[in-house]
Amino acid sequence: MSAAFTDAQLIAFLEGKVDEKLGEAIEAAINLDPALAQRVETLADEADDAAAQMVRAAFDRVLTDPVPDHLAAIITAQSKAEVIDFAVERSQRMAPPPASGAGSSERKVSWHWPQLTAMAASLAIGVLIGGFVVYGAPRGDIGANGVADGALVLASAQGPATPTAIAAMLDTAPSGTQVNLGTLGSGEVVLTFRNYEGQLCRQFSLEGAGGTSDALACAGDEDGAWQLEALGRRVPQAGEMQLAGGNAAVSVIAAVDAMIDSDPLVGAGEAAALKHE
Amino acid sequence: MRQELVALIPRLRRFARVLTGNLADADDVVQASLEKAMVNLDQWQSGTRLDSWLFTIARNTWIDDRRRASNRMVHDDVAELADLAGEDGVMLAEQQATVREVRAAVDQLGPEQREIVALVMLEEYSYREAAQALNLPIGTVMSRLSRAKAALGRIMVHQGESE
Repeated sequence: MSAAFTDAQLIAFLEGKVDEKLGEAIEAAINLDPALAQRVETLADEADDAAAQMVRAAFDRVLTDPVPDHLAAIITAQSKAEVIDFAVERSQRMAPPPASGAGSSERKVSWHWPQLTAMAASLAIGVLIGGFVVYGAPRGDIGANGVADGALVLASAQGPATPTAIAAMLDTAPSGTQVNLGTLGSGEVVLTFRNYEGQLCRQFSLEGAGGTSDALACAGDEDGAWQLEALGRRVPQAGEMQLAGGNAAVSVIAAVDAMIDSDPLVGAGEAAALKHE
Repeated sequence: MRQELVALIPRLRRFARVLTGNLADADDVVQASLEKAMVNLDQWQSGTRLDSWLFTIARNTWIDDRRRASNRMVHDDVAELADLAGEDGVMLAEQQATVREVRAAVDQLGPEQREIVALVMLEEYSYREAAQALNLPIGTVMSRLSRAKAALGRIMVHQGESE
């Protein structure tokens, strides 16, 4: 059956140069005969498709057009609320620290609380872990209870507190190890790397009664305290399909993507880097 | 992963531009498609082609859009024409005319022909890949593209005569 059509006819078919009747006959024959389909595919591979080149030339312009910002932003700034929150946080970090020196500790404290309240409000979508909200304190800030500059902070009904268990995990735990965080549940460092500024950064997950969250923290320059860079609540996975990059919250994956500037640090390399921080 | 998605946006725009017939509608389709992709990232199967997955989402988005609003036939929008006029002098006026003619011709094809043109001619899917993507027998895919090429030829000749 395959031989019923000549190569010339089939090539004419591929080029759109057969009449309707012959075209329909060839279509039907190909659909019934895999060997004929194969033969036509081979002919198509060998052919120089001038029409396709012409069409590509006509539309290639779109490929070099700058991509509108709002389209790229869908990918780079998923979880808009969170991105906005962190923009707020960053601008707060940029704020000049209060004057230091004698008698300034009270001012620091009073400066701290309105900001803390504002942040708590802006992080209303923040990550709830067993009733706590984790967030990063603004840089240049000395917490009411002596929380170090730029440290991770937990907000709870009892007021802000340093999640020492999390900080300790970030300080010492190797990647891929489950760490008991007491009342917070359990945690695990997923990835350790250096960012463009050479800071050590660690992506980690927290699993508590409120669900699983992901976060990214980088070690501050001066004091080595962990600065929270991104935070996201993990969306429960439908089905069993796994992403290549794991199932971490998209906002955290985006932050890692944007900051990572080294191969992942593992094993002895990771241990050495942690020791230096 | 996200970087791969961002890198695919220009191709997604071109694909949607051919499907919809103009850049403004194309960008609407691209926007909706990217949003769907981000929400359904967990449905992409690692090891399969991310671009094909994205094009499938875009095609479904476009089909849904057409179902909602009866398909409007829009030609090159003003911005696109202005773009073309602003292109540097490397391209001869004659070639510009051809580029515009080809685009206008593709835009006059029916939706089924436009999608096959977008997949096979622009994205260089094999007939077999296109048959899978469109869930059609391979002979039908070949025949549809054959008719699209014939129609393009007719439209171009007609354009030439009317000038």
